[in-house]
Amino acid sequence: MQGFGRFLTYRVVRMLIALWSVVTVVFVVMRLSGDPVPLLLPPDAPIAEMERLRHEMGLDRPIYVQYGVFINQAVRGDFGRSIHFRTSAMTVVWERVPATLELAFASFLCAIVVAIPAGIISAVRRGSIIDDIVMGVALVGQAAPTFYIGIMLILTCSLWLGLFPTSGRGDWRNLVLPAVTLGAFAMASIARITRSAVLEILRADYIRTARAKGLPEFWTLAKHTMRNAAIPIVTIVGLQLGNLLGGAVVTETIFSWPGIGRLAIQSIYNRDYPVVQSCVFMTAAMFVVVNFLVDVAYGILDPRIRH
Amino acid sequence: MAEWDKDRDNITVDGLARRLRDGRITRRGFLAGAAGLLGSMAAAEGLLARVAGAQTTRKNTLMVGQSSDVSKLDPQMSTTVNDIAITFNLFDNLLTRRRDGKLYPSLATEWKLVNPTTWQFKLRPNVKFHNGDRFTSADVKFSYERSYDPNAKVITKSVLNTIERIETPDAQTVVIVTKKPDPLLAARTAFYAGQIMPKDYFAKVKEDEFNAKPIGTGPVKLASWVKDDRMVLDANANYWGGKLAVNQIIFRPLPELAARVGALLKGEVDIITKIPPDQMDRIAKAPTTKIEGVLYGGLYCLSVTTQKPPLDSKPFRQAMSLALDRETIVKELWRGQAAVPNSLVVKGDSHHDPTLPPLKYDPNQAKQLLKEANYKGEELTLETPIGFMVMDKEMSEVVTAMWKDVGINAKLEQLEYSVYQQKIREKSFKGVRWTDPTSAYNDPDGMMWRHLAPGGPNAYWFRNPRFDELGNGARFSVDEKFRAEAYKEMARLELEFLPLIPVIQPMELYGLQKYVDWKPYANQTMEFRNFNLKITRG
Repeated sequence: MQGFGRFLTYRVVRMLIALWSVVTVVFVVMRLSGDPVPLLLPPDAPIAEMERLRHEMGLDRPIYVQYGVFINQAVRGDFGRSIHFRTSAMTVVWERVPATLELAFASFLCAIVVAIPAGIISAVRRGSIIDDIVMGVALVGQAAPTFYIGIMLILTCSLWLGLFPTSGRGDWRNLVLPAVTLGAFAMASIARITRSAVLEILRADYIRTARAKGLPEFWTLAKHTMRNAAIPIVTIVGLQLGNLLGGAVVTETIFSWPGIGRLAIQSIYNRDYPVVQSCVFMTAAMFVVVNFLVDVAYGILDPRIRH
Repeated sequence: MAEWDKDRDNITVDGLARRLRDGRITRRGFLAGAAGLLGSMAAAEGLLARVAGAQTTRKNTLMVGQSSDVSKLDPQMSTTVNDIAITFNLFDNLLTRRRDGKLYPSLATEWKLVNPTTWQFKLRPNVKFHNGDRFTSADVKFSYERSYDPNAKVITKSVLNTIERIETPDAQTVVIVTKKPDPLLAARTAFYAGQIMPKDYFAKVKEDEFNAKPIGTGPVKLASWVKDDRMVLDANANYWGGKLAVNQIIFRPLPELAARVGALLKGEVDIITKIPPDQMDRIAKAPTTKIEGVLYGGLYCLSVTTQKPPLDSKPFRQAMSLALDRETIVKELWRGQAAVPNSLVVKGDSHHDPTLPPLKYDPNQAKQLLKEANYKGEELTLETPIGFMVMDKEMSEVVTAMWKDVGINAKLEQLEYSVYQQKIREKSFKGVRWTDPTSAYNDPDGMMWRHLAPGGPNAYWFRNPRFDELGNGARFSVDEKFRAEAYKEMARLELEFLPLIPVIQPMELYGLQKYVDWKPYANQTMEFRNFNLKITRG
């Protein structure tokens, strides 16, 4: 257990370093992209007004002092006030978190519930018509652009069949189309990785041994195959969850979903850099946390990794 | 008015695929077309009608789908289309401009010019703000003075800054003294910066809180706002102009065009904005929906931003204008939903000269002028963002092709929107850019002079002593006869030098459920008052 504790501590430290790096990159990139002051004032603003604002924002101080202040505020989750919404930038981003999580987890659930069984069946029945169908659908899911899938789903399921609302956030029925649209890519990747991971294990000697000693096929799969195939599957599942949490600009735009992705893009257009910073930080934080959880899962699934 | 019912060429899958293959439409265009096809198939089977019928049972609520979310509710903090759609309903102005282009009384019941620099407004008695505060002349004085206060963080400072002082002899009278005669003062009170805000409430809550919880005298009041999701406005039961035909108006941002149109066809929303002409038929031909359009109170123009050769040559600029087949642009690209302008004074504005012919297309004369200009094939760059104006990308492609046809070495550059905005601020365009000036006060002063006066947003290089003399004279004259003559001459001068090349005056199209009786305005405000909104469903 001591080994696991050390493993966890190590991962937490790595997570904090990753977050610090993100914050620093955000700081540097925002400074590299030019002076924000002219963007915040009308084009004909007098020089004195620009100087006043520059002083107010602390931009006239040495860069290391600015960095210190920035880190200090970032630790407290304070990235300044939104220029566009005239309120705390982090508050604006927090308002979008529930919608983002709702959509991300719904898509994620859609993806794993469909993709993992599909991948396993496809591997077990390799070369069969089922395998061809599953992999064909997965290929379409990976290749078709999100906006195409989204618009086609609106046309067929919503306008034509009248099953779901066309867009907006509301009850579970509003969630179905965006979740499927967003989950399509993740679904496809997870199914393909599951198939190849399971296939590889099925060829292993210990599987042949298990079959030779007369273990039922179900237990061979459930106990011997899946546990060993889990590492690549957990990796891809973790990565996909991170991606889904990062907000999905296209899906959110098509379905008018009030999530972080759309907010980030709009804020870039509006040059609302406190909100952009908060979005980047929030997305990075969610990604890092998911990665941490994946690492922990590795440790549980394969004790060798702990050392 | 537009010919909605006119039969148009039927689009087929083969046709779309052919156009995609030939590069005549983009992949996106192809998908939109394909979407249109599917939509009409559904319509043919009567499915849409059934679905729509099932969905439109929410009585007393009007759902409006806009192309993006509202950003600010403080009326002096924003002039963007999606925001003014709300603020002109939360607040009232002293005067209001209706669809016929005329000024009507609103919070003021009478107004008159006492002498060339003094205006008097009599205010409507017994009007209350949403919080119960009484509306008085002090609120007018406060709102107007804030709009040009150098210390206030507002973006409307140039609207009412002709005012020298405001007097409030009693609670129902406002006297405005202007620095110089201002023929447009009454018109100014009817537009941006003229919305009346409550003085006492504002003093209590300060600007950020006011922006989040605005209080006005208008027909609706803010109930709730979930950003990027929906804004709920409740009807003001005590509205002085009579209660609205609905209990609630809900604004939803529906940024994706296909989803916006889909939501209308399915009956989830009652009105949608910003419909490009190629989607018009889908809505007009569906059994439950219709199109309403209005000629935009402004123009889509090409702004000549530099005097670098070849743009420094007057005959070259005239050739650029003569090379544009505006009729074809209107007919093919806009499907008839636009007009060919005859000058920089638009149809619908005061002092528009209907005797001028529409701008001419003459490729031979253009070629002749290029020779005269001694044009040696220098590059002419048109810089455009995508989605800044309706069909800007398509029009840019067509315009550069038309220039190439007469021998101009035209090049098209697409810019990301924020880069475009930056270039506007820095005035750093390479050649020609799109601009969509609107005549804010239905008057040439609000467009031709505002944009081309010294320091104006499109006065990149153009200066002409006579033009400046007339522009200044007309701005400070209350003699409408003199102004009419001045603008006639200025319009002619503008067409000679062409700092702005007018291209088209577009129609703005809205999609509506058939049971909604509502008309759009040329100035892009969405007026929801009981004289402009009726619901005819059972």
